[in-house]
Amino acid sequence: MSIQKAFLFLLAVAIALGALVADAPEATAQPATAQPAAGQPVQLHVVPSDGPRGGVTVNPTIDPDRNLHGDRVESHGKGMALLFWVFAAASIGGALFVVTRRNLIAAVMGMVGSFLGIAAVYMMLYAHFLAVVQMLVYAGAIMVLFVFVIMILNRPEDEPVAPTGHVGQVVGGIAILYLLFRLGMLLAHVHVPASAQLAPPPMQLPGGEVADWGTVKAVGSDLFSGGLFPFEAISILLLISVVGAIAIAKPLKDDDGEDADLGEDLATAASGAPHTDGGHA
Amino acid sequence: MGDLVFDIGYGHFLVLAAVLFVIGMAGVLIRRNALIILMSVELMLNAANMTLLAFSRMWGDLSAHTFALIVIAVAAAEAAVGLAIVVAVFRGRRNVDVDRLTALRH
Amino acid sequence: MDPQSAAAFVTADPHFAGLPLLAWIPLLPLLGAFINLVFGRWLSRGTVQAIAIAAVAAACGLVVYLVFFPLYDAFRNGQGGVGIEQQVYTWIEVGSFKAQLAFRLDTLSSVMVLIITFVGTWIHIYSTGYMSHEPRYAAYFGYLNLFMGAMLILVLGSSLPVMFIGWEGVGLCSFLLIGFWYENDAYATAGRKAFVVNRIGDFCFLLGMFLLFWATKDIASSDASGVVRGSLDFATLKLPQAGAAFVQPFWGGERLAAAAGILLFIGASGKSAQIPLYVWLPDAMAGPTPVSALIHAATMVTAGVYMICRMSFLFSASTTALIVVSTIGLLTALAAAFMAFAQTDLKKVLAYSTVSQLGFMFVAAGTGNWTAAIFHLMTHAFFKACLFLGAGSVMHGMEHGGSHTPGDITTMGGLKKHMPITRITFLISCLAIAGIFPFSGFFSKDDILGGAFHAHPPGWPDLYGKFLWVGLSVAALGTAVYMWRLYFLVFESKERTKEAEGAHESPASMTSALVVLATFATVIGLIGAPALRSIKLPGFTHSLAAWLAPSVTHQWHEGTPIEGEAPSAKDVAACANVEEEQGACTMDSGAAGVCMGEEHHLACEPASDLGTAGLLGGALGIGLLGIFIAWRLYRNGPSPTVAKLTAEHGPLHGAYEASKHKLWVDEFYDLSIVRGFKALARGLFEIVDRFIIDTVAVNGAAFVVGIFARISRWFQNGSVQRYLAGLIVGAAAVFFITDCHHKATFDYEFLTGGQLHLRAEPGAGIVGSQAVLSWDLDGDGVADRDPKNPNKPLSGMDLTVPAGDVGAKVTLWIEDPIARETTRVTRTIEMPEPTVGSAAPRPPSPTPAPSPPPAAPATGFSRGGN
Repeated sequence: MSIQKAFLFLLAVAIALGALVADAPEATAQPATAQPAAGQPVQLHVVPSDGPRGGVTVNPTIDPDRNLHGDRVESHGKGMALLFWVFAAASIGGALFVVTRRNLIAAVMGMVGSFLGIAAVYMMLYAHFLAVVQMLVYAGAIMVLFVFVIMILNRPEDEPVAPTGHVGQVVGGIAILYLLFRLGMLLAHVHVPASAQLAPPPMQLPGGEVADWGTVKAVGSDLFSGGLFPFEAISILLLISVVGAIAIAKPLKDDDGEDADLGEDLATAASGAPHTDGGHA
Repeated sequence: MGDLVFDIGYGHFLVLAAVLFVIGMAGVLIRRNALIILMSVELMLNAANMTLLAFSRMWGDLSAHTFALIVIAVAAAEAAVGLAIVVAVFRGRRNVDVDRLTALRH
Repeated sequence: MDPQSAAAFVTADPHFAGLPLLAWIPLLPLLGAFINLVFGRWLSRGTVQAIAIAAVAAACGLVVYLVFFPLYDAFRNGQGGVGIEQQVYTWIEVGSFKAQLAFRLDTLSSVMVLIITFVGTWIHIYSTGYMSHEPRYAAYFGYLNLFMGAMLILVLGSSLPVMFIGWEGVGLCSFLLIGFWYENDAYATAGRKAFVVNRIGDFCFLLGMFLLFWATKDIASSDASGVVRGSLDFATLKLPQAGAAFVQPFWGGERLAAAAGILLFIGASGKSAQIPLYVWLPDAMAGPTPVSALIHAATMVTAGVYMICRMSFLFSASTTALIVVSTIGLLTALAAAFMAFAQTDLKKVLAYSTVSQLGFMFVAAGTGNWTAAIFHLMTHAFFKACLFLGAGSVMHGMEHGGSHTPGDITTMGGLKKHMPITRITFLISCLAIAGIFPFSGFFSKDDILGGAFHAHPPGWPDLYGKFLWVGLSVAALGTAVYMWRLYFLVFESKERTKEAEGAHESPASMTSALVVLATFATVIGLIGAPALRSIKLPGFTHSLAAWLAPSVTHQWHEGTPIEGEAPSAKDVAACANVEEEQGACTMDSGAAGVCMGEEHHLACEPASDLGTAGLLGGALGIGLLGIFIAWRLYRNGPSPTVAKLTAEHGPLHGAYEASKHKLWVDEFYDLSIVRGFKALARGLFEIVDRFIIDTVAVNGAAFVVGIFARISRWFQNGSVQRYLAGLIVGAAAVFFITDCHHKATFDYEFLTGGQLHLRAEPGAGIVGSQAVLSWDLDGDGVADRDPKNPNKPLSGMDLTVPAGDVGAKVTLWIEDPIARETTRVTRTIEMPEPTVGSAAPRPPSPTPAPSPPPAAPATGFSRGGN
């Protein structure tokens, strides 16, 4: 458990440190003096028709480092770099935790840490709404679900890694490393359009409003205009999966004995007593 | 080297996503516990999401956010069903080692 | 059937009980066989023999009616192809090939069916006496009836496949009846031997059929249906178109008819006991004697001769085939006669005699003397059946006398006193076989000898015919000697043993058959008596040749297709008349026999009466000489002269041993073929079965499958992780493969306003994205300097320059900082049609935009923090 604690501690320290460093340069920055009118945006860059949909417009008179409300939105600079590294380390460390820990609760905690780091990275990508959703849905709901199931099972692995099939693991490992190499090389050197170096422009919404990039308003506008059908479809999918999950996990009528066992397991799990499995060890 | 550390470009995000994806993949590949495997799958989905968001930012297209939202929803559904299956399997077999769940062979 | 020949046939289409009348001929014996074989065990002996005899006798009566009324009427009216053809049903129908189960009674088959049913009936009657002590009485008569049915199908079949049914059927019955007393191991072995040897011949018969089928695959049909796609009907095969197919070169420069004919002849030699497949017939004497008389003397063994005469149109198209037939026939006649000398078993002597006489028939067939072949077949059927039945009678009597080796002639002698009827009939038959005037064998044998004498097949020296004649004469002499040796040893002088003294005459059922057959053996030869110019015999003489003429071919195919049907009876008669009147030509017994060597119809060999008479006299003299020799040597029982000559150191010892051991042919076959095949089978078993099939094929297949199973089992172990590993490896492979083929290059595009847009395509991956680029736009081979910053080389992924500054060739260097290698791409810039460029539309970079942005120059935008 000490490793987990150390990891969580480090994570907390990193977050705090990152926040401090990020704040430091901005403290001296001048607040925006001129708040130009939001109207009359000049179309700087029309995305080709076969490109992403929607007309993204940028008001050139706006300081690209500030949003509509005058906040600094820039994600450049040493402070931001430090934050990136901290959160990247957090997410990778958490992920490594997941795949290496024998204790399931430790793995879940590593997962939560990883998700938090990922959410922070989302923030840096101006995906504010999704960062919040990530934390709520993943770190909150799904992980809680995992924890519940782990409590039901409460069964540490005898041997976390399969003792057999080394050939497959070696081949798979080589393949994974090669994939990592290729993906990393490919992704590290993507051709970045010049506009992407700028702060994301505020979005012109259908109603004539202008919203900041990645905010709830902007995402919602996109979701409920073009993505309405997938949205509805996904809601049906969720319903089906809930029903399905209940149907699958529901104890069968005729295996009461098993059910009793499971109830017993549940009881022991809830009471926190060490689980002894006489019959199946 | 200084550029690489202090100039955070899109490549950094994408490589981070790739690393996360590969870690998740390795987890799926080597762990025996079905729960860990499910978590690793979630990790891979998150990595994919991160790539989506990075490219969304890069190309200034918000629809990737919508897409990522849908991916999260699908991941939630998958987790629900997956965990239900794990519970059902556990009830029948008293373990959730994928090594021993080799009924597909038959 | 093609209407041409059908029209020439008898118009009457008689039916009985819904079946064509012809079908009843074989069906009656088959019905008898069915009743006797299925219900025989519950029937009394009287019923069994009544059914069997009635069936055969009814068939005989039916045949007599059909031959002497409808067929003879047609013949007398001179209708073209004389015969009755009736279809029972369509047996095989594959595509355009149609095999009808049809029967054909023409002048040729009529002779055969008469012999078969008539002799068969009497042998059935004889059997009631001979087999009276047999416990499996019904089975015997059932087999006998079955044989009759099969033989009649063979003879009446209107196509080769139908003939083959009978061919196989008689083979089966032969096997069953030779091994009838299967409790005796030697007898059962003899049956198997007959069957196996016959199968060899049958196989070649089949091959010949296939070859004919192939040969007639696209001849024009004579009826409206157009083209024949292979046919085995005799009527179709006889067509001139088929004749044209037969004379086509086939193999080794020979005609197709040669190959087909020789194959069919091998089939015939199996059935008719010719060299090299004759070995089964002497052993076949293991069967009951009436069976030997019916099957192995009178009918079945002559099937080969009949078949060759039936296929005369084929054999006459190939001299080679005929030479083979006649030569083999001669050799068989000589060898079998030689082997008959030293045999001491009554039936064995007769068996070799049969083989020898069959050789005579094949010589006749091989010289194109079809009439003589059939004629001798007919006379032989009577006298040889009579001889066999006589032998059976003798053995019957000897058994009565208490003999345990009833066939051993050394134990006989003086039986004329005890068995007068048997002796007389035997004597008549011996006279007939020796060729003494006026018994039947005289005419038929002379017919053959005369035909051979005059034969000179095209392309062969005239001496060939003389050679055949000499050989046959020697064989005829031998025949007379050994037959009369047999006669003297059995019937003359004094009884040499007690058993012989105790012998007595057989019952009336047996002697009546002997008498009838002996009568026919005496007189039947007259129907084929030779026509002499100066001596006018009664009208029925030489009628056999005229009778058979419509059914056999009298001409030679010499490369050109023949123009019409075989000559009608009228033609033959006319020819005979004309020639008789002119005195230029003698219809020497077999008209066709003397016609060899010429292309025209019935090209008759001029032969004087003197020549004919000389040949007749010579044949008679040979017979008399043989009888004289036998009389000198054996009139008092076994000859001391012969014993001295053939003793241990006698001059003829070697020859005697050779004859006694049948020229060691069986031993030779055993050594060369049987042992060879056994060794081959052993080798095949060891190599093919044990090694190739068991080890290599079966275990090897299992081994290979096992290897692949091992490999696939590694994937299919049910573990989802294993499957996923495969997926990942596959993904990696996809990446790996797609990386192998990128190629660095650049695109260019002319923009409006005289600008040229260049865009580097350094390829994917590491090389592409971190490459250091430098351009040479003016075509001087040196990298250009950046106009804005002359200290730096012109670099960048996208360049937009005035088109006028660009030379004819543009070079791009791509330096890979990681791999430290430089790729150089040079392209010739082609001045365009306006606005047409080779580059695909891309998301335009900001550079070419009308209003260039103040910030973000075209180069270096991957650097952050500006």
